[in-house]
Amino acid sequence: MVKLRAKCLLVGDAAVGKSALSHMFHSDGTLFQKNYSMTTGVDLMMKCVQIPETSDSVELYIVDSAGKQTLVEACEKMWGEVSLLCLVFDLSSEQSFANCSHWMERVRAHCRGTRLPGVLVGNKTDLSTRREVQASVAQEWAESQGLEYHETSAKEKENCDAPILALATAFHSLYQEHRETIQNLSPG
Amino acid sequence: MIESSLASLGATIVVASSSDENHPPENITDGNTNTFWMSTGMFPQEFIIRFSEPTDISAVTVDSYNVKHLKIEKNTSQSASQFESVTEKEFQQTDGHLQSNAISLNGSGATHLRLIITSGYDHFASVHRVSVQNEHS
Repeated sequence: MVKLRAKCLLVGDAAVGKSALSHMFHSDGTLFQKNYSMTTGVDLMMKCVQIPETSDSVELYIVDSAGKQTLVEACEKMWGEVSLLCLVFDLSSEQSFANCSHWMERVRAHCRGTRLPGVLVGNKTDLSTRREVQASVAQEWAESQGLEYHETSAKEKENCDAPILALATAFHSLYQEHRETIQNLSPG
Repeated sequence: MIESSLASLGATIVVASSSDENHPPENITDGNTNTFWMSTGMFPQEFIIRFSEPTDISAVTVDSYNVKHLKIEKNTSQSASQFESVTEKEFQQTDGHLQSNAISLNGSGATHLRLIITSGYDHFASVHRVSVQNEHS
């Protein structure tokens, strides 16, 4: 049995639903914040996820970072060393999806070459009539970036546990991989 | 001066910040570089070694992987608290083999040593062996 710990960075444009998702993760899908309150700094949330078919678990420290452009630089100073990425966009906003590549660049530069497993989340599936981003397009871009794609609705409490489980599982696999590498090392 | 594995000195690990039951902290003191203790995510990570009696330590050798920066603290009390800083060192990154670093401690007496890995070269770091050079008493 092992308990892993990972810092998961939650980024994406302002008002795509990062904090709403973060609250859903934290409350196991019971708490949806009805009033919008913009995150202006960095919020921290802890969630322990059991890895299926093992006795292992991952403690996710979710860093919910402000999406507003003018606040990003100040927030980046508080990111620290990141283990996982959760990049969120709004399915009803083409612009928020287009901006994902800027977010990706910023996060990559911040991590200086360390491999970063992660997920791309298209949020607000409930706004189906206003959808501007097709699943296949988002899926394809996610794959090109090495991210796993999920669609959620924090409002309707739909599929919100899928990205969090994917993140924990990815970190667990990364740990197993590193363990094997270390086992095969030769003495200094 | 002699170099000894920690277990042969009666030293034990009393605190470790990560726990994988397949890679317990005892792997640090057993003198074998094939077995290791591994950090399980995020930094800093630390472990505390307790000696069975106050020991004059001139240097420690740390065999590890992916450790970037290590701080060493010590104390001379019976409990694992109130540490004073001794030294710190930046390790070189290695590929495919272990890091092995000797760190001078100037023969200071100690009952506990606290090793703090403040940063790593990757998500996870491992410590395979810590051995001490002590003045023969």
